[in-house]
Amino acid sequence: MNRLLIILLALSYTSVFAYSGEGHINLGDKASELEDEGKSRDIHPSLSEIRKMHPEFLLHKRDKTLRQGVRTKRDSLKACVNCHSTSKDGEYIPVNAPDQFCSTCHQKVGVSLDCFSCHRTTPQEDL
Amino acid sequence: MSKKLNRRDFIKSTTASTAGVATIASGISLTTFAVNDNPVTKEKRWGMLVDINQLSESDIDNMVNACQEENGWGNETHSTGHQKPSWIKKIKVKDRATGKIDSLPMMCQHCEQPPCVDVCPTNASMRREDGVVLVDKHLCIGCRYCMMACPYDARSFVHENLSNQKEHMPRGKGTVESCTLCVHRVDKGGVPACAEAVSGEGVIFGDLYDADSKINQTLKKIQSTQIRADLNLNTGVRYSGI
Amino acid sequence: MNIRYQQIQGRSLGFYALVAGLGVFILAALGSVYYMEHNGHFVTGMNNRIVWGLPHVFALFLIIAASGALNVASIASVFQKKLYKPLSRLSGLVALALLAGGLMVLVLDLGRPDRLIVAMTEYNFKSIFAWNIILYNGFFVIVAVYLWMMFERRMNKFSRKAGIAAFIWRLILTTGTGSIFGLLVARHAYDAMIMAPKFIAMSFSFGLAFFILILMASYKWSERPLGDVVLNRLRNLLGVFVAAVLYFVIVFHIGNIYLAENKNVAMLLFNTNSIYTNLFWYGQILLGSLVPLLLIYHPVFKGNRSVLGLASLLVLIGGIVQMYVLIIGGQAYPLEMFPGKEILEGYGELVIYQASLPEMLLGVGGVAVALIAVVFLIKFLPFLPESLADKVADPHHKA
Repeated sequence: MNRLLIILLALSYTSVFAYSGEGHINLGDKASELEDEGKSRDIHPSLSEIRKMHPEFLLHKRDKTLRQGVRTKRDSLKACVNCHSTSKDGEYIPVNAPDQFCSTCHQKVGVSLDCFSCHRTTPQEDL
Repeated sequence: MSKKLNRRDFIKSTTASTAGVATIASGISLTTFAVNDNPVTKEKRWGMLVDINQLSESDIDNMVNACQEENGWGNETHSTGHQKPSWIKKIKVKDRATGKIDSLPMMCQHCEQPPCVDVCPTNASMRREDGVVLVDKHLCIGCRYCMMACPYDARSFVHENLSNQKEHMPRGKGTVESCTLCVHRVDKGGVPACAEAVSGEGVIFGDLYDADSKINQTLKKIQSTQIRADLNLNTGVRYSGI
Repeated sequence: MNIRYQQIQGRSLGFYALVAGLGVFILAALGSVYYMEHNGHFVTGMNNRIVWGLPHVFALFLIIAASGALNVASIASVFQKKLYKPLSRLSGLVALALLAGGLMVLVLDLGRPDRLIVAMTEYNFKSIFAWNIILYNGFFVIVAVYLWMMFERRMNKFSRKAGIAAFIWRLILTTGTGSIFGLLVARHAYDAMIMAPKFIAMSFSFGLAFFILILMASYKWSERPLGDVVLNRLRNLLGVFVAAVLYFVIVFHIGNIYLAENKNVAMLLFNTNSIYTNLFWYGQILLGSLVPLLLIYHPVFKGNRSVLGLASLLVLIGGIVQMYVLIIGGQAYPLEMFPGKEILEGYGELVIYQASLPEMLLGVGGVAVALIAVVFLIKFLPFLPESLADKVADPHHKA
């Protein structure tokens, strides 16, 4: 039983850091630009923090926005989608489509994400 | 704020809003940021006055269209008949005694004591401090008890998969939705899309508590009613001319 | 004298055929759920006016019947009637099974059944629904404990106390279920607290009808003796309960007709030629109440088991029709938003609901789940007395 637990913990540990140290394979258009300009740290000062904590950030933000009307850009899901969407042939690919920004990790760690059963999956602006 | 976001704006606005908080803290009021950054409070009560004598039928149609356009409902492909969502609709009534015919727009009345909020088992149906009644779709399990409880037939259930929703208006299959009084606009100092769609004085949106607001002053002057006033729900949407 | 309980053998062809048959219904129900949840509710007959459809009819019917099925045990434990004592175990089992079937249907008809966990973690204590979630879960626990007290010889001495607790709980539970409708202030078709006692009467009647049918079937198919004393007692009881339901229905509707504001809704059942009017008169009143009363009380049918079975079956069918008229008919009539005015456009028509096949399969699947639970459990645990022959059930009985 203990051994199973250790294996499970080890697996979850490795999955959280699955991409640490290396670039994400599919950052999205604007996020890639920002990275090229060396500005991504302005938005996410710590990569491991955003990787581990983004569900909490989003959860906290969603309640503040919906229930209290606090509409800041920080931690807003719209902002995530805006930066991390990839376009192809003049059209944005949904951010939760296979191999797109959200799904690469979520597929790998086997965690389903429920955001996009309601939220828009591409930036609102057209290309 | 409503303009589309590009990368530079994003960085600017992130830093700017932080600065905004700082300035407020030091006592200088910066209302544009205060609207966005501070939780809404009980000091306001958003409401709407609909004067049906000043609304033509096409005005009401415009209100419905504006709502659809703004919030992205009405393009459902599979839902038929009563399955189609309807956040706001035009109702035509005839007085049984006099035969007088009135048309009026009907939507969520944003009650102070909303039956939908009372009955919701998961707290998904909720009322903001400033009087706006909303569905927290993160918590909605789709039981539809709120739709049974609503005296105004104001709520819709999403009967099919949706995509390409409006950025500011998440909507999804299996959850309940209704008029949000366009909170995403109101929180940024704007007015609901339906109110904007009417050119004259037919629809007045504002803070019911603010003695200087137009809605407050008009309500003091003219006679107005709440629909199903007998239920004592103290609605935020008021009508005159019925 | 001691009652000996014994599992059924459950090795006959008939047993396996029964299990297989019920299994087919359950699979069909699960398939329907997948279909409905995958596509969304547009594939059902439900819409924004009829928000609760056939699944709710079945779910609430089963939930109401569940609390009523416990009555037989309550009569033994609370009211100390010896004759009912041997039936207590089965009564508890049928109650749990029906509740499980009903809840399954209720939950699988949610818009987001995948979020069921939210319903368990986020409570709004003002919501009757939230209260019902607690009441249903509590019912499972209390009846399970009650059954344990009855099964475990050392615990027998506590079984009466557990029985009383279960009895009180079930009264609260049905009150809660009735209040789901009774407290809907916006809807004239419901808004009346008489719904609570009416639901309790309905639960007595539906639950007992289920119990009688299951009892007769299990004794017949397992070839165990079942005497007339027990059945005649149950028959009389069923008659009283059916009459009680009829009483509440009449009182409820007279109240509605008398109140001017509810008149329009009431007239739906008395004046129009809609499907709901016909279901009410022919289904609920004639087939579900008057005919069973005749079958139960007419001297010609005295002691006739097939007729008792038929009466029970009609009570159940009438019960489903009653729930249909109540839930769907109640929603079909428009809300009275503008008293004194007639709505010309945009709202206000009578909505006719057309149930889809998946909805029906889901509803019937709930009944199948309840029955299969009973079938399996009486095979694995000693729920049924070896004999309910007259001399066992009632030693003072003179043949």
